[in-house]
Amino acid sequence: MFEFAFKSFQEAIYMNGHGVYVWSVVIILIFCLVCAFSYYKIKLKEYKKKLDETY
Amino acid sequence: MIKKFIHQFASPKTYLFQVNRVYKYIFYFSLLIYTFSLIWGLLFTPEDFVQGNSFRIIYLHVPASFLSQSLYAIMAIASVTYLIWRVKLAAYLIIAIAPIGAMTTFLALISGSIWGIPTWGTWWQWDARITSTLILFIMYLGLISLHNSFSNFEKADKLLSWLVIVGFINIPIIKKSVDWWSTLHQSASITLTDKPSIDPSMLYPLIGSMIGFFGLIFCLVIISSKLQIFKREKTKSWIKDYV
Repeated sequence: MFEFAFKSFQEAIYMNGHGVYVWSVVIILIFCLVCAFSYYKIKLKEYKKKLDETY
Repeated sequence: MIKKFIHQFASPKTYLFQVNRVYKYIFYFSLLIYTFSLIWGLLFTPEDFVQGNSFRIIYLHVPASFLSQSLYAIMAIASVTYLIWRVKLAAYLIIAIAPIGAMTTFLALISGSIWGIPTWGTWWQWDARITSTLILFIMYLGLISLHNSFSNFEKADKLLSWLVIVGFINIPIIKKSVDWWSTLHQSASITLTDKPSIDPSMLYPLIGSMIGFFGLIFCLVIISSKLQIFKREKTKSWIKDYV
C-alpha cells in the first residue's frame, strides 16, 4: 500500500504529462490556505491590540 | 429547556474560552493528517486505469467540494438557531463561515476546472453540477457583500439568516444534480448507503485528506468567529478579562 508509485522523483513531478495539472492544484490550494490563515491571524492580532489599547 | 441549554453553552464568552483550549490540538492533528494523506495520495497510490495520474486531483477536489456544501448546511442550521432562539453566537457564526465557504467553493471550482482539462478535454461546461456549484459561490459572495452593506448588525443578521435558509434549496440540487440530469460530472464514488466504488488503496488517503481538510477549515472557522466576537462584543466587560 505504501509503495512509491513512480520510478523516479522526476517522473513523480511529470506524472506522464498530468503533473502540471496535479501540482498546480496543490500549489493553489496550499496558497489559499496559507493566505486565509495569515489574513485571519493578522486581523485577530490587530483587533486584540486595538482592544488592549481601549482598556 | 432547549433554549436554556443553548443560551448557557452557546454564549460567546463560553465559546471563546472553550475553543481556545482545543484549537491548537485540532490544528496540529489536522495538519499532520492532511499532509500525510496528501503525500500518500499524490505519490503512493497506484495510477488510475482510466484517468491516469490526473485522478490524484481527487485528494484536493473532493474535500473542498464536500466542505463547500457542508459549510453552507452549517450556516443554514445556525440561521434557524438564530431566528428561533435568538442565539447571538449563531449569527456571528453565519458571517464567520461565509468567506471560508466562498474560499472552499472557489477551490472546488478551480480544482474541478483544472481536472476537467485532461479528463473531459475542457475546463468548463455549463452542466448541472458545475453550474449549481458556481451559483453556490455567487451566493456566498452575495451574502458577504450584503452583510457588509449594513451598518445595523441586528438587521443584517436577520436578513442574512432568512437568505441563507432560502438559498439552502441549492444544496440538494448540487448533491442530486448528477442523478437528475445527464452531466459530464461523474456520480458520487462514496455514499453513506452503498459500498464505495473506489479501491481501498485510493479510498483511505481520500478519507484522510477529507478529515485533515475538515479540521483545518474548522480551525479557520474558529479564528474567523473569534474575530466576529471581538468586533461585536467589544463593549462587554468580559472581553477586557479575555484580552
